[in-house]
Amino acid sequence: MVMSLSQGLRANNDAGYSPSVRVGLDVSGFARQLVEPETMFREISLDVEWKYNHFVAVEAGLLDIDVQKQTHRYMAGGYYLRLGPDFNVLGRKPEAPNDLVLLSLRYGFSKLDHEAPFILIPDPYWGDFQTAVDSESYSAHWIEAGISLKTELGYNVFIGWSLRGKLLLYNTREAEMEPYFIGGFGKTGRNTGLMLHYHIYYRIPFR
Amino acid sequence: MAFHNKPGFAFRRIFFVLSGIIFLCWACQEDEICEDITANDLRIGFYRIGQDHDQWAVVDSLRVFSLEQADIPVHEHLTSVSVLELPLNPATDNCAFVIDFYPITDTLWLTYQRETQFISVECGFTMFFELTGINHTNNHIVAIEETTTYVTNTLDEHLKVFIPDPGNGDEPQPGFTGK
Repeated sequence: MVMSLSQGLRANNDAGYSPSVRVGLDVSGFARQLVEPETMFREISLDVEWKYNHFVAVEAGLLDIDVQKQTHRYMAGGYYLRLGPDFNVLGRKPEAPNDLVLLSLRYGFSKLDHEAPFILIPDPYWGDFQTAVDSESYSAHWIEAGISLKTELGYNVFIGWSLRGKLLLYNTREAEMEPYFIGGFGKTGRNTGLMLHYHIYYRIPFR
Repeated sequence: MAFHNKPGFAFRRIFFVLSGIIFLCWACQEDEICEDITANDLRIGFYRIGQDHDQWAVVDSLRVFSLEQADIPVHEHLTSVSVLELPLNPATDNCAFVIDFYPITDTLWLTYQRETQFISVECGFTMFFELTGINHTNNHIVAIEETTTYVTNTLDEHLKVFIPDPGNGDEPQPGFTGK
């Protein structure tokens, strides 16, 4: 497999390669908001093919959660950033130079402020318990690895999806309350996570 | 040239088929049932002292009430009990339960730390607990072994309660044990 990959690289060396920057929008945030209107995250990305089949990518996003129910109110807001390389394992076929299968590695960081001014925990034996959690800051660092596919629809417009496995490295331990959702990482409660992203990209060619 | 002969068509077909499959798998994940994922009872398994610790004992009948609300039973009358679920008080850092084995009773004092946990937008919050201390009388209970400190919404067994093995003629020695 390694041999065929290297042969593919040699055969396709420079085929269809021109330095470019691709900007992207993660549309999975919009889809999630349809299902869960209280949770909003928006993410943009930027990737540069700095070397044949080697990319470096940065992804940045904003998180805003505002939940108001009969038994609870929860608010969170923050930002996140992911940075890392992509490698195109497909090589680049001359007849389809813009089809990419990428292996990705990322380092992620997220910071948010959250609070729960009203919490009612119903208990059939002890009775309802009402409490609140004041605003506090929370941060998390993680690494992730995954696979993604990108293909050009035409006129430098690409679509793509990526599946990422995540491993939490560090988070704020003294937090009074675990956040519901870490921007860029996903739901909390475990040190690992899996996220699916759908993207639309526009490539800006250098030449 | 027909579209299906255009370069990259096969890749695009694979791309969209895989996209659809993954999206469907994602969308078809089971909905959470709030009663299940916010349940946070302390789970006790009964075992015979000196017998296999992987096999539950069956207590013929018992009832449970708390010291704090003695007039409201936690469990009125249970029969053939191997596992007992007790609700920890979310408003305080300790509570106590009296287990009536008919006619012998034992009291269990529990201390813990509480952590407010946001479960989901729909289900809201629940309380998770970390056990920090267990004291009990030894009227019928011989010993208690702590197996899991964290009391969350999983189905873990947290305490093993050892009771006498009538086959060995074990008679409990009344007393008090604390941790």
